Amino acid sequence: MRPILSGLLWAAVAALGAAGFGVMALSRGETISAAWLLVAGVCTYIVAFRFYSRFLAVKVFGLDDRRATPAERINNGRDFVPTNKWVLYGHHFAAIAGAGPLIGPILAAQFGFLPGTLWLVAGVVLGGAVQDFTILFCSLRRDGKSLGQMAKDEVNTVAGYAAMVAILAIMIILLAVLALVVVNALRASPWGLFTIAGTIPIALLMGWWMKSFRPGRVLEASAIGIALLLFALVGGRWVSLDPVWSGWFTWSGPALSWGIIVYGFAASVLPVWMLLSPRDYLSTFLKVGTVLVLGVAILILLPPLRMPAVTRFVDGSGPVFAGKVFPFAFITIACGAISGFHALVASGTTPKMLMRESHARLIGYGGMLTESFVGLMAMIAAATLEPGVYFAMNVSATTLGGTAQSAAHTIAQWGFTLQPGQMETLARQMGETSLLSRTGGAPSLAVGMASILAGVFKGPGLALWYHFAIMFEALFILTTVDAGTRVGRFMLQDLGGHLWKPIGNISSYPSIILTSALVVAGWGYFLYQGVVDPLGGINSLWPLFGIANQLLAAVALCVGTTVLIKMDRARYAWVTLLPLAWLILVTMTAGIQKVFADDPRLGFLSHARSLADSADPNAARMILNDRLDAALALAFMAVVVVVIAASAREWWMVLTRKKAPTVSESPFVETAYAPGD
Amino acid sequence: MIGRDAAVGGRRADAQWWAVGGFQRWTVSCLQSRVRLLLRTLRAVIGAPDYDRYLERHAQCHAGSSPLDRKAFYAAFLSWRYEAGPNRCC
Repeated sequence: MRPILSGLLWAAVAALGAAGFGVMALSRGETISAAWLLVAGVCTYIVAFRFYSRFLAVKVFGLDDRRATPAERINNGRDFVPTNKWVLYGHHFAAIAGAGPLIGPILAAQFGFLPGTLWLVAGVVLGGAVQDFTILFCSLRRDGKSLGQMAKDEVNTVAGYAAMVAILAIMIILLAVLALVVVNALRASPWGLFTIAGTIPIALLMGWWMKSFRPGRVLEASAIGIALLLFALVGGRWVSLDPVWSGWFTWSGPALSWGIIVYGFAASVLPVWMLLSPRDYLSTFLKVGTVLVLGVAILILLPPLRMPAVTRFVDGSGPVFAGKVFPFAFITIACGAISGFHALVASGTTPKMLMRESHARLIGYGGMLTESFVGLMAMIAAATLEPGVYFAMNVSATTLGGTAQSAAHTIAQWGFTLQPGQMETLARQMGETSLLSRTGGAPSLAVGMASILAGVFKGPGLALWYHFAIMFEALFILTTVDAGTRVGRFMLQDLGGHLWKPIGNISSYPSIILTSALVVAGWGYFLYQGVVDPLGGINSLWPLFGIANQLLAAVALCVGTTVLIKMDRARYAWVTLLPLAWLILVTMTAGIQKVFADDPRLGFLSHARSLADSADPNAARMILNDRLDAALALAFMAVVVVVIAASAREWWMVLTRKKAPTVSESPFVETAYAPGD
Repeated sequence: MIGRDAAVGGRRADAQWWAVGGFQRWTVSCLQSRVRLLLRTLRAVIGAPDYDRYLERHAQCHAGSSPLDRKAFYAAFLSWRYEAGPNRCC
């Protein structure tokens, strides 16, 4: 009886999910509830987790609970620590979740909510979660080796170095684009800037507390830090209303970008206890807390989706960013569906903390499903905005003309309406001077989040929720910028150490300053150019980041496929080859279009050509940037082609038995844990 | 047997904070251990150092030598956490 009942139950879940997709796809013109989007997504996740991840765990990887994990064998009480499954799930989620899954869906909403939602759901169950799970499994069987190291060991040395260079380059673009999102969110916003600036003294106080006053008491310091942060948030309103103070905290884009550049350099050079680590804890609490609160609020409110399911901009004429729905919806969604960057965490701290091999299923596959759910929440937040408001906020001032009137006129031509005075009212409600052309995604997400949160928690009002959302995004983006600059510095020191030994010394101050300056100069250059770009910068940098991140995912899937083939599981290699083939198709199409397309809005080179006879004094600089972006995109693609070719050669050799299928797993040691623990 | 003890030591930290001493017992000492375990869980999730856990572990494995003090442990913790590679994503 039980198998029949269970079969019926699962059929019901699947049917419910299908109904959700049906309602979304068939809605034409009428507003539907966010509930349908959630039903479609969550039912798909549940079915995929129950069946597909089980298939991966049992058949493809053969996870074995009798095999002791590196955490159990090495257990050094530092990085190798056997950790409870649910605790590690939280830890892993906090590490992989960032701004990507929040910003990507907001931008992709220009195509309507349907294309992005479909890719968030389909991409994660067949691609992103498979990638995270595969790399976690590979690293778990190799004592927690990094992705670069595994590429070197399993494929070959060239692929290893190619992967390391790719990781560093992707880091630079990632940090630039994330910093740009923060600059655009804080530009001319004294309230937001005051709150974020407040995190610096708060972090210094927490750092001193944890280092000297009460060593290692992170929870105490975090509680104090969060209380002070909320105080700074409330104080920001007063600052924004005071004419003198608001003047001090009203900064232009270029000034803010210099501020972030100096800050990023300081955070990389100063000891971690001072700035980096306290801000890391602060933002982890805020991130996990806010994601939970937002999830609950969406479930309670089930807001209507005002954005159409599909807009006319699928034809490539979109004003937020150029390019057709294929391939650019897939590039823009980025981390919520599949993210190469996760392969770095899945081959970093997490594999060293797994208590049991079977836990990798919940943490690798399940953790990524949760990240995709965060992406769905961002999509809901974007789609609850009136389409007119969405475009008024996300299209550059150059296109909209810079005034509310010209914006309303332009938006009307696209078939959406913006009421007279609507943007002014909205800006006043949110406590901002203007919300026109606030590109980058963060302000739209904050408006969407504020209306959802204020709809459920009646108390504090829209303006406070808006700035809470801005603080939440900016804080953890800046934490990624700090931590990323530091990691980039270590990578550069590691690579540079091969050329000249003293550079590789990670505690030598001249080397620290030199490599930090190089990394900061790298992302700082792209950030500054993005800030002064009349099209808003996001337009060119976000697709570049999306391409880079997904190409890194292609590298990870190449490594995963190689391992599967060497494990003599070639018959299951389609689980990684399928997403790999799709990623290659999408990223190569997007990359070639971004470089060579004839449309100057889309192609870097044609944009450079269109500026050749321009009288604009900035034309020469913009031409240089276009060429640089084109070169970078080509370099990313070249690196990935190298990795794919090296891997394909390895697959061929193993499959034709010209090479023995040897796996470099750590030897089997039986676990000391009792079964069922 | 040594492995077994280590496993038990590893699992003690993972006991569920809401179920210490059974659900019915709400004595003061029971509450204290619940709070302790809740804080321990929180620390593990956010990746904060856990000195008590380090001491327990040290007593098990390196019983002869003296453990690091709080300050030195925190410094060592920071260096491996932030020099090991990316622990934050986009």
